[in-house]
Amino acid sequence: MIKLIQILIEGALVGLVYGLVAISFVVIYRASRIINLAQGEVLVFGALFLWTFTLGLRSIGYEMPLLVAIALTIGACVAFGVGLERFVFRPLIGQPAFAIFMASIALLILLRGTAQLIWTAETRSFPVILPEGAFNLGPFLINTRLMIGGLFTVALTMALHLFFTRSRRGLRLAAVAEDHNTALSLGISVRAAIAIAWILGAIVATCGAVVLLSGRIVSLEVAHIGFKALPVALLGGLESIRGAPLAGIIIGVGEALAMTYLDPHTNGAASGILPYLVMVAVVLIRPQGLFGWKKIERL
Amino acid sequence: MLPTGIHFERYAAEARILKTRRAQIWAAALVVLLLVMPQFAGNYLLGVFTHMFITLMAVYGLFATVGMAGQINIAQSAFVGIGAFAAAKLSGYGLPVFVVVPLAAVITGLVSILFALPAARVKGFYLALTTLAAQVMFPIIILALPSSWLGGLVGMPVEPLRIAGIRLSSPTQLYYFALILVAILTVAAFNLPRSRFGRALMAVRDNDIVAEVMGIPVLKMKILAFFAGSLFAGVAGACTAYFLQFVTVDSFTLFDSVWYLGMLIVGGIHSPVGAILGVVFITAVQEGLHWGATAILHAGGAASGGMLFALTSVALGAAILIALIFEPRGLAHRWAVLRAAFQLWPFPRN
Repeated sequence: MIKLIQILIEGALVGLVYGLVAISFVVIYRASRIINLAQGEVLVFGALFLWTFTLGLRSIGYEMPLLVAIALTIGACVAFGVGLERFVFRPLIGQPAFAIFMASIALLILLRGTAQLIWTAETRSFPVILPEGAFNLGPFLINTRLMIGGLFTVALTMALHLFFTRSRRGLRLAAVAEDHNTALSLGISVRAAIAIAWILGAIVATCGAVVLLSGRIVSLEVAHIGFKALPVALLGGLESIRGAPLAGIIIGVGEALAMTYLDPHTNGAASGILPYLVMVAVVLIRPQGLFGWKKIERL
Repeated sequence: MLPTGIHFERYAAEARILKTRRAQIWAAALVVLLLVMPQFAGNYLLGVFTHMFITLMAVYGLFATVGMAGQINIAQSAFVGIGAFAAAKLSGYGLPVFVVVPLAAVITGLVSILFALPAARVKGFYLALTTLAAQVMFPIIILALPSSWLGGLVGMPVEPLRIAGIRLSSPTQLYYFALILVAILTVAAFNLPRSRFGRALMAVRDNDIVAEVMGIPVLKMKILAFFAGSLFAGVAGACTAYFLQFVTVDSFTLFDSVWYLGMLIVGGIHSPVGAILGVVFITAVQEGLHWGATAILHAGGAASGGMLFALTSVALGAAILIALIFEPRGLAHRWAVLRAAFQLWPFPRN
């Protein structure tokens, strides 16, 4: 029984990390109606920015306080988001969803190639930002890094949810998520929305990278987390910030259970496939996810 | 756009793919050129062309699914992989090649139907996600199956290509093998938009609700679009299997799927000419970069394989973005404009 609860706790904590990455999907979709397949690459970019401003600068002799490094990383994320808006998505405003989806696929290749050109494909260690180790809670062992990450995810979810549902700017973004042309005719700047979406998306993804990678290894392969978070975002509903962490917990717990009880019988395949099976099931049964917006089509 | 002075009296003439004598001569010249290629091309160039033919087969498949029917498929590489593994397995049973290739294609098609079924409920982006699931699940499943089935982590050897008991394994023979298959598929791809099936697919693409009202069975057409596209992928996979002589899951990644899509977009998604132009263009860019990197390496500069891969990625990503932003109709449209200007010369266009 204790083992089972321990598995559930670990699964939930890992799931919250998925949830955090999924939030970065949702933020971009919710503010700009862009489904960004390249989210994993965005996360890697954020991680590499942070690496550059901490360990990278240290290795060439410039040591700077962590807070300054984080501020510089956020600045880089802002520049990144604004650049993407200006050069990639602004010309595509009003184009069919197909074109924008394809643009995100092109971005996936482009960003991966660019990251490899700038930082090369070597693996490097990521700075320790969150405390390592684990603590005991009753009979259970809890990973400190994931625990702090989980609490952070919940807090961030609340904050973003308030931003999107209470603030004037956040509500305007909802119109952009509904339809670009409608938003334009209501006098809402789609350009600004897309810029905000990508800045927020990059920053949240960088937070995800911190929780995921703190004190570990960062390489281009980390981008795979993006495809793991996509089913989570879909299960929660692409428009729902609060759905993402919840769906993350569901997927994380499911994965942990599958890893313990099914993997020995399936040669390790069950936990790998599970998120995608859930994704297909969600698409089949409830396409809008748990809390997404249901779209009605008319002729 | 037809040259001045040419007009048709019958619909059959109007609907022909090669409408004029001149077009027929050009097409024949191209075929002859490809046929005599091995006489003067080295083994490396033949390998590049064989690979290009295989890629073209897969991209024709995407043309059917994405270009004609408007259903996004980001798992084409996984479907090629299914074709390759099916061909490897079937050839292991000692079946002749003209059984293996069609059977591999049909198996791939049937598997693709599984992932097209969600079309009953969703469309657009969501449907693309189920194909993404197919792409991600493909290596996991192959690796988890007992290694006596599909080779697992190691991969699977393929029986060499034999036709009438003669073993074909030289680059020239494989080149001709791929050429024949790609010729058959080219005929199929060019005729698809003219057929009743193709017209139905286009109606579904343009507006599926209207298509439904017009009496087109939309769900059936969407599933058939995936099936048709995967038939092409299956043939490409079988061809890959014979070409590489060994199949592993590493050859069929999400990245390859994205490349296939990229080629189609750069070339132009609405015509098979776009598939050809896209594949030729991207292959040329790839080979050009490869050639450049080798030259730098010989000159004593630092260029690594990773660098080359990164550069090609940047080039393709940029090419897709430029195509989407500045010329959504792709190179095929540029080609049509160029041809019209040539045919109307010396008169100005419009």
